[in-house]
Amino acid sequence: MDRSVAPMKGPPADRRGSLFFSRSLGDHCVHMGVELEGLTPKAIPGQFFLIRERGVLDPLLGRPLALVASKGNVLEFLFRISGRGTARLASLPPGAALELRGPCGNGFPEPVGDELVLVAGTLGIAPFIGISSFSSEKVRITAVLGVPGKGWEKFVEWCLERFPGIRINSDDGSIGRHGDPVEDTLSFVGQGHEVWGCGPEAMLRGLGRVHEKGCEKLLVSLEKRMACGTGGCLGCSIRTGSGMKRVCVDGPVFEWREVFGGAHGK
Amino acid sequence: MESSLRTNVGGVNLETPVIVASGVWPMDPRLWPAGSMEGVGAVCSKGMTFEPREGNRGFRIMETYAGILNSIGLQNYGVEHFIAKELPLLDNSCRPVIVNIAFETLEDLRRILERLKVCRSMVGVVEMNVSCPNVSRGGLSWGVHTESLGNAVSMARQVWEGPLWVKLSPQVPSMGEFARLSQECGAQAVVVGNTWLGMAIDNDLERPFFENVFAGLSGPAIFPLALRAVWEAAGAVNIPVIGCGGIARPGDALSMILAGASAVEVGTALFIDSGLPASICRELEANLTKKGLASVRELVGRARNDQGENGEKSR
Ligand SMILES: Cc1cc2nc3c(=O)[nH]c(=O)nc-3n(C[C@H](O)[C@H](O)[C@H](O)COP(=O)(O)OP(=O)(O)OC[C@H]3O[C@@H](n4cnc5c(N)ncnc54)[C@H](O)[C@@H]3O)c2cc1C
Ligand SMILES: Cc1cc2nc3c(=O)[nH]c(=O)nc-3n(C[C@H](O)[C@H](O)[C@H](O)COP(=O)(O)O)c2cc1C
Ligand code: FES
Repeated sequence: MDRSVAPMKGPPADRRGSLFFSRSLGDHCVHMGVELEGLTPKAIPGQFFLIRERGVLDPLLGRPLALVASKGNVLEFLFRISGRGTARLASLPPGAALELRGPCGNGFPEPVGDELVLVAGTLGIAPFIGISSFSSEKVRITAVLGVPGKGWEKFVEWCLERFPGIRINSDDGSIGRHGDPVEDTLSFVGQGHEVWGCGPEAMLRGLGRVHEKGCEKLLVSLEKRMACGTGGCLGCSIRTGSGMKRVCVDGPVFEWREVFGGAHGK
Repeated sequence: MESSLRTNVGGVNLETPVIVASGVWPMDPRLWPAGSMEGVGAVCSKGMTFEPREGNRGFRIMETYAGILNSIGLQNYGVEHFIAKELPLLDNSCRPVIVNIAFETLEDLRRILERLKVCRSMVGVVEMNVSCPNVSRGGLSWGVHTESLGNAVSMARQVWEGPLWVKLSPQVPSMGEFARLSQECGAQAVVVGNTWLGMAIDNDLERPFFENVFAGLSGPAIFPLALRAVWEAAGAVNIPVIGCGGIARPGDALSMILAGASAVEVGTALFIDSGLPASICRELEANLTKKGLASVRELVGRARNDQGENGEKSR
């Protein structure tokens, strides 16, 4: 993912692909590569694809997964096994036929300043993996991760390879610092830091406290159930300070204040 | 598209008999997935009400076995915004726009249709969604009671001179009777049908999953139910029937047409396959060639040719 290449303009497309590799990162997560047929779309961090097994009507819907990286014709994703669809995806053999709709959504913009803090709750790290290769060299990135703890060692190791200085927090204290990533972030951020968050809603909401530390810019990537991924079904609508928005086309990346700020965010 | 697929249904000319159902693609064609308009004969707009509506709170979509439950709650910006902003965009799609309307009172219905008259040339068809609640009947949907259905369709017919379709609710005791009533009150086609009422329980929280408790079931799971409803309606009316519900493969559309549908609407399946309309058209063309037929109109109802009145084989 490279900023020099303009993000793909226009709507997403349905694309055929096949499972190129699938590596388990412990019991909970999978790092997956999908080889696309035809042209590889240009996409930016924060954009996502709806992924499903081709030709299968049950489970029906594509699962929204953030693009982690793209190398040649292979798109990489990182996902948590949490239900029927992701369990199926995790069990597929290489070569399995997949269908992808994307790239969907707005993605992250260029950071305004040169101090960027990325705060991730477990798999919330996915859209951030490509940021360093994508933003200007003068941007200094600090990544903060929160995981439950035991059982997540392999996942954390994988993240460390990509973000050598990543600050690790775990709920049970078994890996890294004992605590949550928001508290950790609050312990060091201040004026001049731009903060981006991705993870569970409660974490994102709590991240609003960085405003009190003087951080002006706070962006969050939201998760909502989706059907169409292209702004039609209104299944992913949210109320915001500027009216109803669709997470799949107006987001998933929003200004924190727009979604959690006013009365609509309660 | 081949001219063999050209047809006229309920007062409108269609290049193909495949229509995008209401509530699946955005009102702005610039957001439609690349290539998704190939094979599409017309596009239904999202259900529109007189006043803007924010739609339902809580979860709006839930995947079920081979289907989805939705509880969107008719989120839309109201008729004025539709006319000023959305209809002109849809009109750019170069296909008839089927304007899907919802109303809580007869007065709302009248006001929407009066407003639509100002942009008559951009409205291909008005499609009445009679699954929406009738406030004067305590929120029961218009389409499940003969009296309220009859009143609504008759009122619409008086006010709206252009093509008028009624999109029936499947929650009726007799699809044939409700289709016939729509015809008698002036509908030029019936769409059979909308989503089927269902629900889900969150077992952990021990409460209904959706804030509105009930939600509409769509997708492949409902196809056999919808096909049966199309069969019944087509046996009861002379106006065209448009088959809608669960079409997910080209053969499903063909089955609907053989059962008596003059056209089909495709909804949920577009969430997973934006190329379905084009695949349906290819299937229909291949079927015509195989049978040596010249027009898709000749396929309509062929499965019922040797059926008796009550749908049983007469041979
Ligand atoms: C824009 C976006 C990007 C995402 N990126 C990632 C990622 O990179 N890695 C990752 O592990 N997860 C990501 N998620 C969350 C991921 O989509 C869900 O975990 C996944 O869809 C759950 O599917 P399932 O088959 O495991 O669960 P099931 O319970 O079988 O899912 C049932 C339905 O609910 C939907 N659903 C359930 N949970 C979620 C959720 N949290 N968010 C959205 N839809 C949900 C499913 O898509 C499906 O339609 C992202 C979500 C969004 C909206
Ligand atoms: C998310 C969603 C939104 C819908 N919105 C409308 C609507 O606004 N008006 C309407 O008449 N039908 C609406 N429908 C019903 C569809 O147009 C269609 O009749 C129904 O889903 C059955 O067809 P399908 O199984 O092909 O989807 C909606 C369906 C879905 C899934
Ligand atoms: S998923 Fe359909 S509008 Fe966002």
